[in-house]
Amino acid sequence: MDSGPLISGIGHGALLAWALIGGMFSRAPDDTFEVSEVSIISAEEFAALSAPQPTPEATQNVPTPPVPEIEDTPPEQPVVAAPPEVPDTPINETPPRADVAPDVAPDVVEAPPPIAEVDDTPPEVVQPPVQDNPVVLAPPSTTASPRPAPRVAPTPVEAPPPDTEVAEETREQTTDSSDAQTQSEPEEATAPEEANDRIVTEADEPPSSAPTSSSRPSARPKRPTPPVEAATNDNSTRDAIADALAGVQTEDATAPASAPVGPPLTGGDKDVLRVAVSSCWNVGSLSTDALQTTVVVSMTMGKDGKPDNGSIRMLSSSGGSSAAAKQAFEAARRAIIRCTKGGYKLPIEKYSHWREIEMTFNPEKMRIK
Amino acid sequence: MKHRVTTALALVAALFVLPFVAATQSQAEPLRIEITDGVIEPLPFALPDFVAENAAGSEFASKIARVVAADLTGTGLFREIPKDAFISTVTNFDSPVQYADWKAINAQALIVGAVNVNGNKVTVKFRLFDVFSGAPLGEGLQFGGTTTSWRRMAHKVADAAYSRITGEGAYFDSRVVYVSETGPKNDRKKRLAIMDYDGANVQFLTDSRSLVLAPRFSPTGDRVLYTSYETGFPKIYVLDVASVGRRALADQPGTMTFAPRFSPDGQTVVYSLSSGGNTDIYRMNIGGGAPVRLTSEPSIETAPSFSPDGKQIVFESDRSGNQQLYIMPANGGEARRISFGSGRYGTPVWSPRGDLIAFTKQNKGRFHIGVMRVDGSEERLLTASFLDEGPSWSPNGRVIMFMRETAGAGGAVGLYSVDISGRNLRRVKTDGGASDPAWSPLLK
Repeated sequence: MDSGPLISGIGHGALLAWALIGGMFSRAPDDTFEVSEVSIISAEEFAALSAPQPTPEATQNVPTPPVPEIEDTPPEQPVVAAPPEVPDTPINETPPRADVAPDVAPDVVEAPPPIAEVDDTPPEVVQPPVQDNPVVLAPPSTTASPRPAPRVAPTPVEAPPPDTEVAEETREQTTDSSDAQTQSEPEEATAPEEANDRIVTEADEPPSSAPTSSSRPSARPKRPTPPVEAATNDNSTRDAIADALAGVQTEDATAPASAPVGPPLTGGDKDVLRVAVSSCWNVGSLSTDALQTTVVVSMTMGKDGKPDNGSIRMLSSSGGSSAAAKQAFEAARRAIIRCTKGGYKLPIEKYSHWREIEMTFNPEKMRIK
Repeated sequence: MKHRVTTALALVAALFVLPFVAATQSQAEPLRIEITDGVIEPLPFALPDFVAENAAGSEFASKIARVVAADLTGTGLFREIPKDAFISTVTNFDSPVQYADWKAINAQALIVGAVNVNGNKVTVKFRLFDVFSGAPLGEGLQFGGTTTSWRRMAHKVADAAYSRITGEGAYFDSRVVYVSETGPKNDRKKRLAIMDYDGANVQFLTDSRSLVLAPRFSPTGDRVLYTSYETGFPKIYVLDVASVGRRALADQPGTMTFAPRFSPDGQTVVYSLSSGGNTDIYRMNIGGGAPVRLTSEPSIETAPSFSPDGKQIVFESDRSGNQQLYIMPANGGEARRISFGSGRYGTPVWSPRGDLIAFTKQNKGRFHIGVMRVDGSEERLLTASFLDEGPSWSPNGRVIMFMRETAGAGGAVGLYSVDISGRNLRRVKTDGGASDPAWSPLLK
């Protein structure tokens, strides 16, 4: 005989009996009140007490720092000289290859119009006047230098030292030391691949010490839906019901039911999945049209944290053509499958909450701007 | 007492009803996650040498694979996995793909091909696989041609793979006409040349006895407009690429004509005509006829370029006192200014997609190639150097080729390309100096 329903029945019965009978023979709580003594004051005393306190005066004469003088005249542009170029003189040179030789050869060549020569000396930079104000230097930038990197990722990463293996985690190189008491295998140094958090073009100016951009903070994770409470104010009763519900859910966890069990996923749980998939979502090979397309992808997950590849399908798309949606979906599918590896690190006790997943791949932040 | 009984009944109801409600909600509500941060990095692909299906095919099998790999890696969007990392080998075109082996080396795409040569006929076929999905990406394709056109077939294979993975249009099977330059800076010899987009198969179209400038392809790629100084003054010619025959266009005595460009239908040419110290934009039929004046300003209007639908023209003008970009209807009329940044803007070219305009910008002693929206918004500078000039769009509107000259008396001039994202700036291989590139449409 299955002991689960029996235990459940006993538990439910006990709970109901306690709810019905337990409270009937208990003594009603005394309606006692706490009493505080009060005193009567006069109207004058009340006015004195409630009169507004004098507020500190705002300082009007704050010395303003001197405004630095900036010259309106722009720095001198390099002078573009335009001397006429010496014309090509007719030369009896070898004609082009026979198969492509032009059939017309000019007889007279005169001076072509002048071609502008550009002075390659940079213009003098007009320095602003030195100010007496104390200057607070910004701390050195902690972001990656804005130079082109082969990888663009949400988090900038400095180039790893040479001879360092590219890996997700940074690890110091270890060597096999005979003096060591504990023998360990020598390990290569590893570091994440160099990455920048934006596309840096040749035209980008050298960086200032101030950060040029900051990443948008992640959206606050949604609060878990509050559990439905029974219409009672009795705390002890509510706790007992919660305990009973938890007991029932624990029993059902072993059964292949579709009802959710265990506490809901936390924001951290979801972030594990989000970060893992993001790191494999490569939009670099997507067309500009596909980068305008948001796709919603659904999948069924196994308990090992791996998606059922056959279940990955596109639910909907928006913002682009069907061809672009197809490209965007394929990139999304590659991201989901590639980063599976040993399975996404999701809590198994909450499996029913992440068995079915819908992922929205929104490339808005990744578009070419 | 009554209150307690009511409470107890409510509890009983809750105990029986809640689980069903919760179960229903669970079935209807999957976990929802939004991914907004991704990465931009080259997509790794594996490209084993193509299988030679007969002895004659072995001469081309490896060469074709190398051209395909160079095309894909040259975009900056792909990274080839070295052969010594391969676990599997491909010896038969029809063998099942060992996805696990390719997945183990992180190949996200796999290209398998085969070559068959019969006489001077070459047949190239290929299949593309999405390794992590464990499925082909589209149907297999086969191209046929002569042994002399093996590079074109390689480009076509690369085009198909590129388009299937990225969703962009193809552009590898295209050509570039440009001005080949030799000699020192003060005595340059210039002649028109044409080459594959990657710098191979160079052919010269003119000799160097006269200065030539600004060649432009027709929409069908069979003709080239250019400006020549062989009469001492700039004059526009149209040249047939196949026969190298040419004729003068817009030949008006006492005037200088330059900066020509075809309309999208290939029937009309817009160009600049300078007369009496004033330069305006004109339009005429390619077959001849009277030119139509499109601008009538006392300032210099030049460098016209049609929109892909042929309804508008973007051009440069100094009517505001500074060289800026303007757009007007294709038949002339009121022009609206679209560039408002500091510096001077010139040589605008409308993207084949119609969404962007590429331009040259001179600012603070530096030259830039940049792009902006048609309304002038979202200006982005892609390059910066001593002298960058003359952008030209790839057939798919994803890449821009331009001329770069280095500083100094011995400054070298060469061709460069850059992705419209600003990534993947690279030099195009040419023999000697090169300037004024013009990208052809995709070859038929």
